[in-house]
Amino acid sequence: MRGAQRATAGDPADADLMRRTAQGDRDAFALLYRRHHAIVYRFARLMTGSISAAEDIVQEVFLVVMRDAGRYDATRAALTTYLYGVARHQTRRRLARDRHFVAFDGDGSEACPPVDDDPAAMIERRESVQQLRRAIVSLPRKYREVIVLCDLQDVTYADAAAVLGCAIGTIRSRLYRARHLLGQKMAGAGASDEDRQRLAMRCAV
Amino acid sequence: MKSPHWDPHLASALDDLREVEGHVKAPPRVEAAVLAAWDRTHAARTVSPSRQRWQRVAAVAAALTISLGLAQLGRALQQTVRTPALEANSNDTLLLVGEPILRGEPVRVVRMRIPASTLVGLGVRAGSGVAQVDVDVIVGEDGVARAIRVGM
Repeated sequence: MRGAQRATAGDPADADLMRRTAQGDRDAFALLYRRHHAIVYRFARLMTGSISAAEDIVQEVFLVVMRDAGRYDATRAALTTYLYGVARHQTRRRLARDRHFVAFDGDGSEACPPVDDDPAAMIERRESVQQLRRAIVSLPRKYREVIVLCDLQDVTYADAAAVLGCAIGTIRSRLYRARHLLGQKMAGAGASDEDRQRLAMRCAV
Repeated sequence: MKSPHWDPHLASALDDLREVEGHVKAPPRVEAAVLAAWDRTHAARTVSPSRQRWQRVAAVAAALTISLGLAQLGRALQQTVRTPALEANSNDTLLLVGEPILRGEPVRVVRMRIPASTLVGLGVRAGSGVAQVDVDVIVGEDGVARAIRVGM
């Protein structure tokens, strides 16, 4: 996993930060948080489709780190793998708790693709991203996990297999199936593409 | 990284979403909440050695005080229980209504006012014109009445 262990001068390795965290070093814990919270947040956000749930999950994950830092074994897994594992567990709990709710409280407008010169293209891309977010959230969890980890978080198949506790072959097959399902959902949602094109044209005029 | 080549639309959308998500971070309030949790947890843990020593001394003192208090209370209760027996006089009627009271068995005495007619059922005739009678109910440790003393 990229950037998992940093040990350049003045940039302590994750294992060292975890050891210091276990000893009660607040600065080490804060540095760990700043270094890794974004991947946890993005994973939780994409998995739940909810910004508030993602914020809660980030807190839960780092509370676990705070409590169990002494039990982390750097020889077994990179810290990012460990964090993804904890985040996955917390996300599952959250999804189970909120299974009666369907929400996407982020409209994505706070984060859209970089502005093109062509406003029509920009609107179309934004729509496409929103459509993809919805499609991902509607995937069964085991397919959502591999899409989020491998296609959106750049986690290698080997690390994804470690996070999900399955074989690399399983990751490959799930990913194939997940992409197929996503393609179908996107195509289904694309039935209104003509409307979208018309909207884009109006904005472009 | 590994865009699916078989669906250009999906691949493009995934690339866009990855690019968007690449800049997303949790808001600062989350970090503040996490660090506040750290501070709360560690403030509770970090107690200086001298303070720990004083806490232990205070705990021992409190335990001693409570023990002494309980011992005194126990003695007072025993005296309370014995007193009616010592004060009993020959005019009283003692009705055994349950298991006999064993020697040394701790009992409680509960003074009650009951209708005189109730005593008739127990074979005791109260004086004429008396509607209410004061009785001492002797209750065993198990909460069951053992005897009723009726003062005439």
